Amino acid sequence: MAVISVRNVHKHYKRVLAVKGVGFDVEQGTCLGFLGPNGAGKSTLMKMLYGRCRPDSTPEYSINLFGHEPNRDELAIKHFSGVVPQDNNLDEELNVRQNLMVYARFYGMSRHRAQARIDELLAFMELPEKASEKIKQLSGGMNRRLVIARALLNSPRLLILDEPTTGLDPQVRHLIWDRLRRLKKQGTTILLTTHYMEEAFRLCDNLLIMHEGQKIMEGAPRALIKANIEAFVFEPMGNETVFSSPDRPLPPSVRREECLGVTRYFSDTLEDLKSLCDHVEDGQYHLRHSNLEDVFLKTTGRVLSDKQ
Amino acid sequence: MTNSKSDYPALRARLYGVWLRHCRVYAKNLFSNCLPPFLEPLLFLAGVGLGLGKYIAGSMDGLRYLEFVGTGLLVTASMFTATFECTFGTFIRLEFGKVYDGMLAAPLTVTNLIVGEILWAGTKGFFFSLAVACVLMLCGVVPFPQALAAPLVGFLTGTLFATLALLVTAYVKTIHHFNFFLTGVISPMFFFSGVVFPLSDLNRPLRMVAELVPLTHCVRLVRAVCAWNYPSQLWWDLLYVLLFIAIVGACAVRRLGKRLID
Repeated sequence: MAVISVRNVHKHYKRVLAVKGVGFDVEQGTCLGFLGPNGAGKSTLMKMLYGRCRPDSTPEYSINLFGHEPNRDELAIKHFSGVVPQDNNLDEELNVRQNLMVYARFYGMSRHRAQARIDELLAFMELPEKASEKIKQLSGGMNRRLVIARALLNSPRLLILDEPTTGLDPQVRHLIWDRLRRLKKQGTTILLTTHYMEEAFRLCDNLLIMHEGQKIMEGAPRALIKANIEAFVFEPMGNETVFSSPDRPLPPSVRREECLGVTRYFSDTLEDLKSLCDHVEDGQYHLRHSNLEDVFLKTTGRVLSDKQ
Repeated sequence: MTNSKSDYPALRARLYGVWLRHCRVYAKNLFSNCLPPFLEPLLFLAGVGLGLGKYIAGSMDGLRYLEFVGTGLLVTASMFTATFECTFGTFIRLEFGKVYDGMLAAPLTVTNLIVGEILWAGTKGFFFSLAVACVLMLCGVVPFPQALAAPLVGFLTGTLFATLALLVTAYVKTIHHFNFFLTGVISPMFFFSGVVFPLSDLNRPLRMVAELVPLTHCVRLVRAVCAWNYPSQLWWDLLYVLLFIAIVGACAVRRLGKRLID
């Protein structure tokens, strides 16, 4: 059963239409990921859910989260949701524990309950010995983990994360992914935006690819790859013009694509791509399964738009 | 793990939460934040009492010069602290620290946030006024125990100037624009609202202008408290202050709210 349902939301800023008629459903305990280039409208969409951004009042739009609408029940929604905004915004004057204590107050938690919950969350995010550190002394990864811990204070039913792991090292990223998977197992519904295809692939049950404010594709990660791109990719690293010369035509199953200075060859037949390998020195190419990134580049265009 | 309750805290608890956040951050630098409010009136006593005061023999509105300016200081201290808190302080929380982004993800509305901000500035007004009152009472400049009630006017003054400062902040694009507000509005108010010399020395048109600005009314209220003498015209001053807070406060909530919600 869908616990979140969004229909036909629009948002314009001055003359720019940031979100154009997007809609989606999310089931309880699943993770929906929003993929899209910068400026695609992902953050705007997230902000609409917890009332930080008002959608245009087009007549047929609707947003419903666990039976609540943001423009009527903003406080109820914020009470059962945890939000991790794009930028870390901790109070630099306060230390780690004080940051969480102050925030626990906003949920009306008693001092005693807050203390216990904070200990629990610091352990969960592997920050237990950092409780009395100053924010400025924390690394980027610790900062991010602390913001996530803050979002978890009130044991949210819904977790909204705007680029949770952007700019973090692989260890921290894997730790965060692990924790999010655990939360999902416990029944937390998760919405997240990301630029990392790996993150989307590992965490999300469903993906929504956005481009210029519109939903252009939706589905489970594997299904998206299967439906939208050939199974295999051949990617030579050096000069590859040899393949497309008139006297040596490409095998008919192979599709050639150029994107930002890299040429890739796609095919559902592995053998056909292997035949291309013979013309390239060993180690000077990749022959691999196609992945989300290939789908993403194919669907969101290969040139930068002025918003990126 | 998942909470079943969706009942968010009551209005009072939400406002208290915002207030407490500001209080905690302020108290974090207790020494550097709490010493200056006591030092400033001492500096004033030294500068005006030992220096300038010698040259001013006459009384002003029936008060010695030191007493006249000293009572004014009980509210100007509140005015300055609330103004700085809700201009530079608010702007930094808004634009640089992104503190509001974090707070607005918690169960707080924009209105809760702004009203909490105003109440905190009022509290600072109370505290700064209290600091001045303590120092000036100890030195016998303002009367004990009447001046102990002055911080209540300090609270009103702080609240009032917080609403004005937040309204200005709602329109300000860069932090440097506050200089116009401070030099163009706050400083003239300090000099021409009956704090440093009586309004009766101004010509009629200027006196009417002085009646329009808020600090004049705060000064009158605090002098009445110190003298423990409440003429019936004082109701007008109180009414002015309360209406100002209500009207400008509502405008500030509206304008700043628009800036905070996309």
